[in-house]
Amino acid sequence: MKALIKASMVVGVSLSVFGAVPVWADGFKDCTKLDKASWKPASEAEAKAKSLGYEVRRSKIEGSCYEVYGVKEGKLFELFYSPEDLSLKKTIAK
Amino acid sequence: MVVVWDWPLRLFHWTLAASVLVAWFTPNIYDTVHRIAGYTVLGLIAFRLIWGFAGTRYSRFRSFIRFLRAAPGFLWGLGHGRTGRYLGLNPAGAAMSVTLLVLLAISTISGWMQVTVRFFGVAWVEDLHTYSSDLAMILVVVHVLGVLTMCVLQRENLVRAMITGRKRDRGD
Repeated sequence: MKALIKASMVVGVSLSVFGAVPVWADGFKDCTKLDKASWKPASEAEAKAKSLGYEVRRSKIEGSCYEVYGVKEGKLFELFYSPEDLSLKKTIAK
Repeated sequence: MVVVWDWPLRLFHWTLAASVLVAWFTPNIYDTVHRIAGYTVLGLIAFRLIWGFAGTRYSRFRSFIRFLRAAPGFLWGLGHGRTGRYLGLNPAGAAMSVTLLVLLAISTISGWMQVTVRFFGVAWVEDLHTYSSDLAMILVVVHVLGVLTMCVLQRENLVRAMITGRKRDRGD
């Protein structure tokens, strides 16, 4: 009985660790193959979004992209820029 | 056999389970499905709060409070192979139920906040949604394992009981 409880605890912990990691939860994330050391700064990606008329909330690195959170006319957008040349790879309306 | 779980509670349980699973597998990629699942979970939680007062005996929260206090002692006893049989939720089950409801409420509300103009892109909202969802999913796994353990210990099919609503009477 104790062994059973221990066994289920082991299974539970491993499932929690390996099963609960949402590896499939990725959206868009491939923008460049360029080494991270040669990336242009994220602030330039934010500036590009601003110049398109977005109110920039934040940016973060998503895979090999800069993901910029932008609001335009009350609508929410995720803009994906390549850190290599700051080209806009994808725009997702949320 | 006695009826333990009333039908609205059973329907609640399985639609909640299905919605949580759907939501778990759909973030970012299937945005619309993810949102519908999340709002469904939120609605189900609201129903459960009402049913905690308006439902039949074993659906009510009244017995939960006593059980929450008994939960640590119950788990300690379980670790030493001692269990009591409870017709409704056992103390650990009551604690799990309340914890999951609270976590799912945090997860769905923070998820909803993420797509409002006010909180879009705010890091703590995003983190709160991620971590509360991950923790809820870990607890779902623990919940299922806990139920399976009790099935074996008490030689009773508790999964079927949550479908039919019926359990063995006391003393059988």
